[in-house]
Amino acid sequence: MQELNNKIAELLTNNLVSIFISYKKGLNGKIKPAFFTKPNEVYENYFGDEAQQNLAVYVHKPEVKKYSKVGILANIFALKALLQLYAENQIKDNYLTIVTVNQDNKVIVFADFNEIESYIAQHQIEKNTNKQKEINELLSLSREKRWEFWVEQLSSCIKCYACRAICPMCYCSKCTVELNQPQWISVPAHSLGNFEWHIMRMMHLACRCINCQECSRVCPMNIPLHLLTTKINSDMEEEFGQIAGMKTTLDFALNTFKVDDYENFIR
Amino acid sequence: MKILSGKIMNYKTLKIDNLDLFFNEIKKSGKNLLVPKKKGKTTYFSSFININDVEFNYIQTTISPKSALFPKVEELISFKKDDGTYVVTEPSIEKETIVFGLRPCDAVGLEYLSNFFLNEKSDFTVRLRKENTTLITLACKNFDENCFCTSVGLSPASIKGSDICLTDIGNGLFYAEIITDKGEKLIAEHSALFSNAEKINKESYVAQVPLKFDSDNLIKNIKNYYNSEKWTINSLPCLGCGACAFVCPTCTCFNIEDEANPVCGTRLRCWDSCAFGIFTLHASGHNPRPIQSNRWRHRVLHKFGYSVTNMDTLSCVGCGRCIRVCPAGMNIIEQILDLQEA
Ligand code: SF4
Ligand code: SF4
Ligand code: SF4
Ligand code: SF4
Repeated sequence: MQELNNKIAELLTNNLVSIFISYKKGLNGKIKPAFFTKPNEVYENYFGDEAQQNLAVYVHKPEVKKYSKVGILANIFALKALLQLYAENQIKDNYLTIVTVNQDNKVIVFADFNEIESYIAQHQIEKNTNKQKEINELLSLSREKRWEFWVEQLSSCIKCYACRAICPMCYCSKCTVELNQPQWISVPAHSLGNFEWHIMRMMHLACRCINCQECSRVCPMNIPLHLLTTKINSDMEEEFGQIAGMKTTLDFALNTFKVDDYENFIR
Repeated sequence: MKILSGKIMNYKTLKIDNLDLFFNEIKKSGKNLLVPKKKGKTTYFSSFININDVEFNYIQTTISPKSALFPKVEELISFKKDDGTYVVTEPSIEKETIVFGLRPCDAVGLEYLSNFFLNEKSDFTVRLRKENTTLITLACKNFDENCFCTSVGLSPASIKGSDICLTDIGNGLFYAEIITDKGEKLIAEHSALFSNAEKINKESYVAQVPLKFDSDNLIKNIKNYYNSEKWTINSLPCLGCGACAFVCPTCTCFNIEDEANPVCGTRLRCWDSCAFGIFTLHASGHNPRPIQSNRWRHRVLHKFGYSVTNMDTLSCVGCGRCIRVCPAGMNIIEQILDLQEA
């Protein structure tokens, strides 16, 4: 897409960014992240449906942070992730130049996160009815059957942590699952360890997960993690009226103490 | 690198229609038969139950068959307090295992893996598993853009590391090369299903995988690549997960986890990966490979450099799994070509 390429090249030429994160085609034809540092590399830029990865994950990477000013091509999920990260104080001011391409193929460079907030508000992601159906089917099963389903799914987890690595919201430098002297949760990839790992991860992502479903896409064992993320997101919405990646300010259910909370145990 | 070959003891044919019988006979004999199965986009090895859920349509399985020798989690020792005294149990691995449907590159990968565990110090559980495991390889008819066995001195016709190698030669027949005593023994137990055959030239029945890079040149120059600035820019997409190492047939790194209380406990060996940030983290807080580019470089140089020095062989068999599975599109072939370009 020429307009986008021109914009990226312009940002690099004028030193408005020192690196621009986008996509390109790999040797095997697979679309992968690209890190452009010079305008003459931008011809490789790929724009299209095959560009899936949520690039927001790279703003945590130490090697990327070394660049003084970073540009990033953000699809709607990356925008939501970046907004949530901003709300969580993970993005320095004036560090990122965030670019998106809207539904009319217009290139937009956001001036600040308030603009991103209103862009997201106007571009609601439709609920995927197939995924909702999958969840409803699962919910219609008895407790025992659901348990069996998850035992089967989760016992195959190899704890490669690709789900964690790809997730823009998993940015802890030390993850609970890695603490083993002493263990906080069971570390090995046996059934118990896998259950503890996924329950822990979902608890930490409740109302922070922006439901890009990258974790599900990359799992080598094809574990349907999107069922967990989608369900937890809809619970958060129903119970607390909260959706992650919508606001510049932070107010997520499991971390915000409210003096007027109607639950007694918390007061 | 020279083409690795083994010595063939015998040739047979097997009707593809008889595979079902063969599998059921193995199952009945009480052995554990591992076959490729499919779950969505993933193919992996799992115990045979029924011929209908055996997957035949794959270039390469997503997950390697290495867990037959080196499982993702295994018990090394366990203890239990019984009437005031501690009883210690060592694992016993008696069940015979047959792995069906691994590829020729995998058989070489598993040979490397067992040499790693057995050459210097004989690892107890890997030795028992190796002794009890028979590998029935399926020669490749197809390949994809991520296969590069021919660039590391192998080919879809290699028999090294296999006990039996099957090649689909058309007309509903598998051509069977029986390579080891273990292979002979298994065929003898099911002799009614196999017919005698003459040696044939397999080449026309297997995939012709194009060369991607020159490994002799790579091995010769590998020392010069350590300081290349390309590691940094090429590894920017890498997220430091364990996917590449965990699907790789030759990645052998592990971590030990103790799960115990005063009454009972186990010591477990679990897969680990050099791509994880904490893999090399010292207790002092110092990390000799502090950034991802160091870790990516280590992985590539181990496969094509350190293992040549230490074990006189490459430790990459060109199966392409790490490329297919990488969530961020990292590609070891691309990295090698880029290094060689300079
Ligand atoms: S990506 Fe899949 S196999 Fe890997 S840790 Fe996550 S759930 Fe487990
Ligand atoms: S869907 Fe998965 S990868 Fe995306 S934010 Fe939620 S937990 Fe992270
Ligand atoms: S190369 Fe890919 S699979 Fe391997 S650690 Fe990096 S991101 Fe994970
Ligand atoms: S490094 Fe990659 S291509 Fe080589 S053996 Fe391992 S998984 Fe296969």
